[in-house]
Amino acid sequence: MDNKTQASMNRHHQSKWTLRNIILIALIAIFTGIIFWGAGFLYTALTVALTPIGGAPFANDLLMGLWCMAGPLTGFVVRTFGSAFVGEFLGAAVEVFLGGQWGAGAFISGIVQGIGSELGFAFTGYKRYDWVSLNASIFTTVIVTFAWDMIKNGYNKFGIPLLLALFVTRYISTFIFGGVLTKMIVKLLDRSNAFSL
Amino acid sequence: MNPGLKLLLVMAIALEISFTQSLIVNVILIIASFGYILIHRISFKALLGLILWPFFPALGLFVSQWLYGTAGIHFAWILFTRIYAYVFLGATFTLTSSITDLALTLEQDFRLPSKFAYGVLAAFNLMPKINEEVKIIKTSALMRGEALHFWSPKLYFKAILSSIQWSQNLAEAMTSHGFVEDQKRTHYRVIRITGLDWSWFIGLFAIVQGLLFFIRY
Amino acid sequence: MTDVSINHFTYEYPKSEVKVLNDVTITFKHNHFSLLTGPSGSGKSTLLYFIAGLYPHFIGNDALGSIKFGEVDVKQIPRNQISHSVAMMFQNPNQQFAMDTVIHELTFVLENMLVDPSKMDEIINHALAFCGIEKLRSRVINTLSGGEKQRVALACIVAMDPPVIVLDEPFASIDPDSRLDLIKKLKLLQQEHGKTIILADHDLNDYQGVIDEFYYLDPDSHQINLLAAPAAQHFFDQFKTTQTINKQVEIPAKGTPSVIDINDFKLQPHHSLLLALGKFKFYQGKTTLITGANGIGKSTLFNALTKLLPYEGTIEYSGKNIQKIRPLSYAKNVTLLFQDAENQFLNITVKEELDLSLKNRTNQAYTNDDVASMLKQLNIEGREDQVVYSLSEGQKKKLQIIEMLIMNPPVLLLDEPFKGLDYHSLEVVVGFLNRAKSQFHQTQIIISHQLSGLDPLIDYHAHFADQNLTYQEVIK
Repeated sequence: MDNKTQASMNRHHQSKWTLRNIILIALIAIFTGIIFWGAGFLYTALTVALTPIGGAPFANDLLMGLWCMAGPLTGFVVRTFGSAFVGEFLGAAVEVFLGGQWGAGAFISGIVQGIGSELGFAFTGYKRYDWVSLNASIFTTVIVTFAWDMIKNGYNKFGIPLLLALFVTRYISTFIFGGVLTKMIVKLLDRSNAFSL
Repeated sequence: MNPGLKLLLVMAIALEISFTQSLIVNVILIIASFGYILIHRISFKALLGLILWPFFPALGLFVSQWLYGTAGIHFAWILFTRIYAYVFLGATFTLTSSITDLALTLEQDFRLPSKFAYGVLAAFNLMPKINEEVKIIKTSALMRGEALHFWSPKLYFKAILSSIQWSQNLAEAMTSHGFVEDQKRTHYRVIRITGLDWSWFIGLFAIVQGLLFFIRY
Repeated sequence: MTDVSINHFTYEYPKSEVKVLNDVTITFKHNHFSLLTGPSGSGKSTLLYFIAGLYPHFIGNDALGSIKFGEVDVKQIPRNQISHSVAMMFQNPNQQFAMDTVIHELTFVLENMLVDPSKMDEIINHALAFCGIEKLRSRVINTLSGGEKQRVALACIVAMDPPVIVLDEPFASIDPDSRLDLIKKLKLLQQEHGKTIILADHDLNDYQGVIDEFYYLDPDSHQINLLAAPAAQHFFDQFKTTQTINKQVEIPAKGTPSVIDINDFKLQPHHSLLLALGKFKFYQGKTTLITGANGIGKSTLFNALTKLLPYEGTIEYSGKNIQKIRPLSYAKNVTLLFQDAENQFLNITVKEELDLSLKNRTNQAYTNDDVASMLKQLNIEGREDQVVYSLSEGQKKKLQIIEMLIMNPPVLLLDEPFKGLDYHSLEVVVGFLNRAKSQFHQTQIIISHQLSGLDPLIDYHAHFADQNLTYQEVIK
């Protein structure tokens, strides 16, 4: 074995948690955090509009997919254990530092969403990065975050029909933003050869 | 108080009150946090934001629980105050601690590998530039005749391309500034968790436990 | 003795087989100030990154040949020791600091180098004093100007105190006073502190009489040659001619119809005043050239004109306050050709990029044949399926210019549009711009350091100096 192949093999076994990748994950989290921040007014507007009929939780569930985008994105860009979790958590932390409406709650939501997002990639063994692993990640994100809102936002005190409606709303939102949109972004990155950088 | 411990305390309490159902404790936490923030003299505008913005989600949760919940108005009030408790607890950390100090203590006292502490810190320090970059991406797209919104794949695509470029530049620059992953470093400012820090942490946490145990309303 | 010797050094980009450096063998002498020049994008940076020990670590593939400091191969130096041998200053001042403030960055640097904390204050004070920036000590780096940031970058290097210092186009975006000052400081580091300095730049201003050796990277052979004094002199002279044209232009006459009106205008990002204008107009259907020193605020003015930056006062387009025009409509009327071509791209392939412009253009002025002909004239035809990000810098710039011409906005702002173009391409582009003006009545405002070749295009000349913008008859 010559030196060159040796070197490239070492590279292969190296952890993907390099300084560069850590910065990359953090930057993507901040970018997405700032982009959602721009959409924050939408959340408030939706909440205000839905409050009189008691439908404010729908604002939360409608936009859930958006809050959960950093995870799948960083999970796809840096393909290793923990990247989706760290990306999602940092994305939430950005909201806190920007002065979000959630305060310390966002840190915890970040952890919960991060776990949800990461689990999907874990189930596919960090081997596949395709529509299947993305859907696994969507599925686990919806389940984990919904379970969390049962407790935190008192969803467990709602009747079954409302609960079902909220769950379906959240699933659709996560599917659209965390799934379809993420897939489109990843496809653009793929085509531009960004992953080989 | 040591910023790392403070963050831990804030998150622990926030996590705990997500599970407990005590209206009075929520209110106590809000008042105590509010007092802590006032002592640190933050701007009036920031304070107003803290009170105003959470009002909408808090009210929203309140009304829906009141209308459709099975647990009555008391639970609705718990959810309402819970939101404010999160926000004010969070503010005791974000408004009074610096991210730099947090990174230093996470590296020195919490054994976080320095590449995480300084990598994430370096990225956070670019936040104003990232804000500008989002604006540039949107404006340049307008000049090509396309409006990009938060649901446009291209907005994220361009943002990630910039992230890739910037992360490379930053990592190279940090490396040329002598930073090497997983290597020993010296510390000009040694941040220790003192006995006093621990006392505060344990004391405050214990008080919250006591309150939650005794005050069930 | 730390001669930096490059031996049979060959590098090609991953998967492209295009040689960047071809069997380069040269020696940058110990305690000399060496200038490495050559067209932008020719591979100067690549060599410097290898010398600084950043490549191959941060790039996909290794080079052939070796780089030695004295007798020691760079690759033999452990990664945690390399900073004791060499430090680097980068082109982009915005992405070279990890910390928030100047003092924190300097401390960060010394901590990395395992300096004893009790000695840090003294080292930092000396580094700040050497660079003349004691006042910046506690400042937040994000609020500093480009020139100040590069001074901080130099202070970091002074604190690190390595024998070899490499600099990659470090003055690209900074004001001339900072540039001159930094060059003097580097000379001082060489003469009084025995440093070996290797600096890459394509802008040759201020180096005459300062540098000891002049190296040229030939873009065709991909080799680097040490030039003798007369040959170096030739390059200096040639560079000067690109920065001058002898042209008298008119001062806009009273009553000339204007398209952009600026009133009671103040531009002060980070609270330092860059530009104050009581009344200023840009004129309809004319090409106005804006000249002025680097880093003085010319691009910042464009950022205000495109609503990227806040400003005081009013800007009117066709008599309407630009803040009251809808963003999409305004952006299609007053369009900026960004200095960095990649900023303008929104798609993946060349064809998709061109199609986007054809789809969204303001009018049908350019026919498909026009587009094909422009591509051919600039020698980038037949690349429809190529990924735009894989084009060379020059090709990106050409594509960007063509796609923005197709958009055919009534007002086109061009920020250093000729950067990275060879002279022939520049002439072709000038032809395109003249056509856009005469046939489609486009108003053009150009920021450019490259002046030669622009004579046929320029109608008016506005000079930016002393926080003011004034129309002048002479261009120099």
